[in-house]
Amino acid sequence: MVLLVVAGLGLLAGPAWAQEQKEAAYRAFPYVGSRLALWVVAQIHLNFAAFILGVPIFAVIIEFLGWKIGPDHEEGRRYDWLSHEFVKLTFAAFSTTALLGGLLLFLLITLYPKFWAYMSAIFAPTMWLYAALFFLETFTVYLWYYGWDWLSGSRKWIHLSLGVLSNLFGTAILFVSNSWVTFMISPPKGAIGQAGNFTGTLWQAVNNFTWMPINIHRLIANVVFGGTIAAAYAAFRFLGARSHDDRARYDWMGYIGNFVAVSALMVLPFAGYWLGFEIYGFDQTLGITMMGGFMSWLWILQAILIGVLFLGSNYYLWLGMERIPGAERYRPYIKYLLFVLTIGFMVWATPRTLIASLDEVRSMGGTHHKVLGLLGVMSAKNTAVNLMILTTFLSYLLYRRANKEATATWARTGMAAQWAVFGLSGSVVLFLGVYGYFVEPIVRIRRFSPLQVAAVLITIGIVMAIDIPMFKGARSTGTIRWGTIAPRSQYILILLAVTFTWLMGLMGFARSGLRQHWHIYGVMRDTSPDAVTPALGYAANIITVTTILFLGMVMFIFWLGALGSRGHEEAHAEVVAPAGVPHPAPIGGGAGDRP
Amino acid sequence: MALPVGVKISVFALAVMGAYTYYANSIPQVESKPPEELSLEGGTVTPQQLVTAGEKIFKEKGACSTCHLIGRPGGRGPDLAGVGARAASRKPGTVAKAYLLESMIQPGAFVVEGFPNIMPDVAKPPISLNRSELWAMVAFLESQGGTVDVKLDDIPATAGAQPGAAQAAPALQLPGDPKAGQAVFTGKGICIACHKAGALGASPVGPDLSAIGQIQTPDYLMAKVLNPASKGTVAGFPPGVMPPTFGQQLTAKEFTDLIAFLMTLKGGVPSGAAAGQAAQPPAAKP
Repeated sequence: MVLLVVAGLGLLAGPAWAQEQKEAAYRAFPYVGSRLALWVVAQIHLNFAAFILGVPIFAVIIEFLGWKIGPDHEEGRRYDWLSHEFVKLTFAAFSTTALLGGLLLFLLITLYPKFWAYMSAIFAPTMWLYAALFFLETFTVYLWYYGWDWLSGSRKWIHLSLGVLSNLFGTAILFVSNSWVTFMISPPKGAIGQAGNFTGTLWQAVNNFTWMPINIHRLIANVVFGGTIAAAYAAFRFLGARSHDDRARYDWMGYIGNFVAVSALMVLPFAGYWLGFEIYGFDQTLGITMMGGFMSWLWILQAILIGVLFLGSNYYLWLGMERIPGAERYRPYIKYLLFVLTIGFMVWATPRTLIASLDEVRSMGGTHHKVLGLLGVMSAKNTAVNLMILTTFLSYLLYRRANKEATATWARTGMAAQWAVFGLSGSVVLFLGVYGYFVEPIVRIRRFSPLQVAAVLITIGIVMAIDIPMFKGARSTGTIRWGTIAPRSQYILILLAVTFTWLMGLMGFARSGLRQHWHIYGVMRDTSPDAVTPALGYAANIITVTTILFLGMVMFIFWLGALGSRGHEEAHAEVVAPAGVPHPAPIGGGAGDRP
Repeated sequence: MALPVGVKISVFALAVMGAYTYYANSIPQVESKPPEELSLEGGTVTPQQLVTAGEKIFKEKGACSTCHLIGRPGGRGPDLAGVGARAASRKPGTVAKAYLLESMIQPGAFVVEGFPNIMPDVAKPPISLNRSELWAMVAFLESQGGTVDVKLDDIPATAGAQPGAAQAAPALQLPGDPKAGQAVFTGKGICIACHKAGALGASPVGPDLSAIGQIQTPDYLMAKVLNPASKGTVAGFPPGVMPPTFGQQLTAKEFTDLIAFLMTLKGGVPSGAAAGQAAQPPAAKP
């Protein structure tokens, strides 16, 4: 569809196109312009790519869990079904990702020939490698998907290995393509000649300053993204389900998708911090432009979106506790969790420097508000986000033990230790946050912030290390009533998916806009008519358009996938609904399309 | 009649995106425009015009205001209020304009106590201020409590980015033969009579060209050979000595060979005034 539209536009603009010089540095895309055409296609391609790379990561983990539990157990079969369901979503989106990648490539070659020539002269070998990896990834995923039943039973380990292999290929693809995009942000300074020519080695170009931080950041973000989209798919199916069994199944699927997303989301800010740190390390001006220059408001918007993600995912967990017998005892604590999250959200979304009118500046007594200005600095924001992560973890912990009562003899001591660790960690984060106002920025950046992160991660590790053995063999206060969750919870899952997709668009703009009027920062200047980096409002409009297009295409693809599955439903009725559903029944669609 | 689930979800998703889009459009809208290149060489510019141009560069192309505030502490770099007055006393023996220039193109040479050494060379990408812009910037900084007395000649001809520098230009492949060019330098061109080039020549009449290939571009050298007056006279040397007749004397091949030879001269920067360097070389600073 997209290709047809593009081809049509191309034919309409044929005569003008033909008149352009053969050696042009830029060519214009008809009507919408080159930048916009490339922007939209690149973002939708990235969204699809993130989805098909992110979902298999947790699909293979879920499949592994199912295998370890065993196909003889209901729970084992349930995990296996869920993993297959996730891979099915990936599979459906695979060809669309490749098509969009091809379109993106053609746009780059035809609209930015000089840029393309420069980049391909450096990265040609990696481009061949990329293509080879894509072949390997495609065929491995095909085998993984189509071989689900064939490689079951004693050959299940081979099937799992295929899943692992497809993830390795997928990660390699991500790393290769990241080398191109990060080179544009941080070309190695010692390897650029005076005329802007690259004089270094291929490895220098690949292993540039921001390559590894973006690799890690994108890898984690892809898992979050995959989780939110998969959860939104489950929500869609839940809301449209006609039977209780279907609701139970997709309620559980949505929970797992959200669990995956939130788990990865909790470490994402740390990866983002590392990326920002490396950008500053590469070039102070670039770092300052990013955080304190014309893009400073972008981070306020980002904070709002991440705040919505944190609040939304916590709210989903709290709603989920309503369907767990025994969770009532934790209800009184929720208001405190909400309080911490709300305060953290507000601090994180507080701007440091306000662009204000002269009157407003006078009434504030300066460009920085006396109180809010203090909350707008990194010290306060880092503290806020670390406390939000701790709070989210606590929400999950309450959810996890909602229908359990620890029977271990040392349970009381264990819980006291857990609370002590939480208290200590929160105090450390707060202390370093306040102390951060009184030290040099370099101390805050290089010592305090990593210490805050370490405190949170260590807390998560210790608390879980206590929790797992403490609740082993715990007394159950009832079975989770899957399928009985309030329908508004499913809209939260939709909210999370939409917000994260929008956030990815915003981060795409940040990464690209950061370079301002440079194709390759400090090396190749953008001399096209599109060299102006647009304001946030315009960017938001485009992000919304790309998000609508992406979600629309995803819905269409999923609908197509569901069409194909309908004929197989009856044949696979043995796949069971989650525990707690009294009578497993035929699948209501989407699950029974295995070959 | 109940709405289909797909419609409900779509409306909800659109409302969410609409809220984000509305917010993004309601906050201050700031575009980042590519900086315009300023060229003041050869024209008559008043100090006030220079200061005005410098202030614009300070806020826009130079991105100085990202770190430096004027009249307010709290920036990443020093508060520049009164810098025009105190610049002369920052480094003994260094006049204000020289110190200010040095602080922009060699920012690590002297770092104000209490501040980290994070300032980039503003003559290099990505900021890439050219010679005219450096001139205007020095004037603007001098105007902060001091007297604007900077002249274009105070800015070395080699200082500042070349116009259009760093725009993905591949390394220029000169068609000339450097060996044949050396023969022109020592023979038909008689350049050796006035210029030194590494081991060749020793005359102090004109600037030492031993490192000219490192500090100048082919464009500059071509213009200088064909029309010496167009590029001014290097400080410390008498004007009008270099003949403007090489365009008639040399064949096209000899000319390109000569330029190719000059571009191979990349030895260490010689002491004293190298070709293309004007008065107040940075080396004069303590």
